Amino acid sequence: MTDYNPDKGYIALLGWSLNAIDAMEKFDRRYIVVAPNWAREYAEKNDIPFMSWNFERLNENSFEIAQMLKDEGVDVAVPLYEETVEWAGAVNAVLLDNPRLLGQSMLFRDKSLMKRRAQLGGIRVGIFEEAHDRGDVERFLKRVNQTLLKQEGDANDPIHIKAFDLAGCMGHRVVRNVEDVDLIPESDFPVLMESHLDGWEYAAEAWIHDGKIRFLNISEYVRLGYSVFVPASPELEAMRDKVTAEIEKLIKTFDIKFGFIHPEYFIGPDDVMYFGEVAYRPPGFKVFELLERVYGFNAYQGMVMMFDPKTTEEEIEAFFPTPVKDANGYAGCFGVYPRNRVVSRLEIPKETEDHPYFDWHELSEPMETKVSKRSAFGNHWGLVYFHGEDGETMRDLLAAQEDVDFYV
Amino acid sequence: MKTGESKGCAVNGADPNKSDGGVDAAHLKRLDAAITRLAKMSAKMKLRQQSPAIDQCVKVLKQPGGIDACFERIEALEHAGIFTGTDWDNPAQLKPVLVRHTLESGHPTSLVLETLSELRFLAIASGQMVHPAVSADEAKNFLARVLGLNLDFLFGAGTEASRMADPDWTATLQSLFKRVAETIGYGQVFDSVIAEIWRILAQRPIETGRIRSMILQLSLWMNEGGGDQAQSGWGADRLISSLFAPTNETREDPGLENYASRLSALDDQSLGHEAAGMARAMHDTGLVSAYHAVLLRHIWQNRPDFIPDVLGLTAAGRLGYRMYADLTHALIEKAICPVTAQAIYGLSLLLERGILHLPPTVPALWRQIGLELAPAVSQRLVATYGGDVPVETRLLAGVISVLGQPLGVGQGNNPTCQAARAIAMWAYTDPDYLLQLVTWAARDNEVRMPFEGKSISSGGLAAGLAQGELLDVDPVSAILVPHLDRIYMEMGRMCAKRAGDPHEWINPEMHGWWVARTFNIIVDVPTGKLTDANGFIRRFYAAFHPDHNGNQPVIHPSPAGIAVTDSAARFVGWHAIAIIRVARDPSGVVRVYFFNPNNDSGQDWGNGILVSTAGNGEFYGESSVPIGDFASRLYIFHTDADQQLEKAPVVRDEIDGVRQKIVESWGRDRV
Repeated sequence: MTDYNPDKGYIALLGWSLNAIDAMEKFDRRYIVVAPNWAREYAEKNDIPFMSWNFERLNENSFEIAQMLKDEGVDVAVPLYEETVEWAGAVNAVLLDNPRLLGQSMLFRDKSLMKRRAQLGGIRVGIFEEAHDRGDVERFLKRVNQTLLKQEGDANDPIHIKAFDLAGCMGHRVVRNVEDVDLIPESDFPVLMESHLDGWEYAAEAWIHDGKIRFLNISEYVRLGYSVFVPASPELEAMRDKVTAEIEKLIKTFDIKFGFIHPEYFIGPDDVMYFGEVAYRPPGFKVFELLERVYGFNAYQGMVMMFDPKTTEEEIEAFFPTPVKDANGYAGCFGVYPRNRVVSRLEIPKETEDHPYFDWHELSEPMETKVSKRSAFGNHWGLVYFHGEDGETMRDLLAAQEDVDFYV
Repeated sequence: MKTGESKGCAVNGADPNKSDGGVDAAHLKRLDAAITRLAKMSAKMKLRQQSPAIDQCVKVLKQPGGIDACFERIEALEHAGIFTGTDWDNPAQLKPVLVRHTLESGHPTSLVLETLSELRFLAIASGQMVHPAVSADEAKNFLARVLGLNLDFLFGAGTEASRMADPDWTATLQSLFKRVAETIGYGQVFDSVIAEIWRILAQRPIETGRIRSMILQLSLWMNEGGGDQAQSGWGADRLISSLFAPTNETREDPGLENYASRLSALDDQSLGHEAAGMARAMHDTGLVSAYHAVLLRHIWQNRPDFIPDVLGLTAAGRLGYRMYADLTHALIEKAICPVTAQAIYGLSLLLERGILHLPPTVPALWRQIGLELAPAVSQRLVATYGGDVPVETRLLAGVISVLGQPLGVGQGNNPTCQAARAIAMWAYTDPDYLLQLVTWAARDNEVRMPFEGKSISSGGLAAGLAQGELLDVDPVSAILVPHLDRIYMEMGRMCAKRAGDPHEWINPEMHGWWVARTFNIIVDVPTGKLTDANGFIRRFYAAFHPDHNGNQPVIHPSPAGIAVTDSAARFVGWHAIAIIRVARDPSGVVRVYFFNPNNDSGQDWGNGILVSTAGNGEFYGESSVPIGDFASRLYIFHTDADQQLEKAPVVRDEIDGVRQKIVESWGRDRV
């Protein structure tokens, strides 16, 4: 990009995301992508400003990248992936001369610390514990079910275990009985264990500037890990005020002045909200794309504005639409996992393709015919996008996708 | 917030009430969304959203009204970047002659982009859209040429169209071309169709099937009142009449049976008029009317003294006929009928060429007349041409055409330029050898050729470049090309381990002793770089240029290889041709006259080099360019060792001029 506004900040994107790069190409701010060396060739070929860096565990080198970006004249770093959140914290601590940012980012990166911090802030969370081996998991499973007054022979309530530092569904397992415990590989430990919360799960995306929410989206999950749509249905949107209050609690508890958060909640009986977890980066599912489809604004650009210390109030006011009211319908997406063990080709089901809400898909022909068994919530093979006028139709349509084959 | 409140929002500008003549509103909504996504992509990321947009265009285009729907959105599609980074990006560089090839390729992405590209020209031509590189008039001219070259798509009944795998596309292309014809006006189309037919006829092809269907469409069009014929249509009458009403007695296209019964009632004078009229139509156009066959058979049975007239023979032809009347009669009896009428032209030229005076030709033709075909060969001919006449008749008619019009052989829509060139060269210079090969192929379904002492049989070899049935070829090619193609590939395999270009050994072994053994190539095969360009040019001039070779004309056709370039002078590929003559044209320029088996030889090679097929001293079927231009595209030729001595020195300026043209075109990255 050559024509940027010199009065705006110089942005470093931490992590390689073509959609984020595309957003910056069309935006008025100078940018540079900081990503591992494997992306260099593509970046150079396409004339994308690039700096190579290996985001492994945060170490004493972190100061080096901060210094490099400072020398380059960068104003702020924006994390795009879970793995780069603490790097952004470390870098921004230097660039913005605010050492607290590093500590804050560590909270986002460790699910156990995160829960404790939330609990300290008076936010309601489920029962959780850390586990270092399978014995810990088995004990926790028993204790939780004992607490629920289950008798010998009753079906157990499941517990969830999650890796401390992986994004979203990665490393997330549901454990119902002792046999499930045996399936957890040694390498997954240590993990966070949580009791299962029955209820309506949803996520929110909040763009925060100057400690205030500038745009709040509620994403309705039809089924976790499979499907989501925006804006949320009227039933869920009815709780927008409560959701806002919960997120304001988060902002206060985690002392967030600027940036973007993506928390998950359960709504239990009596509309009580339980905090699940929060991420300081774009959601893994393509909620940003869905938002652009219904509102027209580019969510990455919005995120960058939140980080940029040179962003003005007027700019923010002009940028974001009014939630729900300005949406031109509902946009949803469904992550396709093959249902058969052996597949030979992609075939969009007729009932999906013929539905007036069907928009497009990014599925491709199978690379291999054998489908590996999903142990945890693994990665989907691509998304199918929908757009339409009615939220209920959208929810039913997304749910119906679970029962059809895209790969045969 | 109620769901209902969001309903009023328009979806990306499209009015869902507008049905666009039957396209599903959901498809249009998806198309508009896809255009928006593509448009929103930054330039560097454009390609990521191109194929979903193209996929959605396919869905819309395949529905009734899809062409109109895409036409309405063509400007949005163009601005969004549907053509970015594709071959269609710059409309000023597109070629009308390539459109057909793309439409016939059946490649889905190319089909869509080609269709959209035509819609873009339509929008520019009608003033609906302004393009910096193409004016409305240029767009109109482009479309007129495209339409002329693809008339059968307009009428939907064409053989090519029906060959396409997807019937939905056939309907789509028909409505595309209909829209094109309506927009630019039938009058203009009409003229370009006529011009196109004459352009092809100037090369006198043997296979006239496509031209015949174009003329048929032309006449239907005129009957349906194709509008403003007053100021257009020059030359249409001659084309249509040559097929449907060449003479006085056929003026109202009476039908073959009526015509036959009329003939027996004609007096000598009228019969003479009929004969002269038929001959004139045939020699004017290179096309033969089915009525001509009826007349010829009538004359052969009743008044053989009129045969020279009905064939339109000159003194040379008349002498040949007088000396070989029995053979000529037998050829007429066995080969000529309304379906094979086109062979009458071949028969006439065969007599004119005087090849019957070569001792082996006459007995070889007698063998051909009595030849029985192997069952597999019969089946192949029936599969290609249908069974309305005996396969022996079909093949004999084909043999007559090839011997009469050696340079009318074409490779059709097949990658077999080597085999087509070989057949043309043999028909031209070695007709009895060709007849021998036809006999082997037809009777034995096997052809044998020696390669450096080892015999190669086509029987045991797998198919070569031509996979499956050959398209648009004459009967001789239909039975012979599969064998030649296999042998050519096998010879290639036998040379695979040798350094250098295999044509050095294949060309003389395959074509005959008269292909000279000294091989000249300007490209270093392993690297693809130019090598000794000056020496290459000097040797070519020394061997072929009359000012440098002692004014020695070319004796046998000389196989050569050219680097074909497109109109932007970009390298397209290697191609086999044969140098027929090198001579001064009427204006005194030394030109190379050559045979190009691709049968659409009027090509633009870029850098101002236009291949001419008529008007510069060409005989029918020859292409020509000035010798310097030819040398600048040449990459392989054969010479005899002693041909390389310059009789008069080749000056440095000439060599530098040619070299300059090489490095400005296909040699750009090969220096």
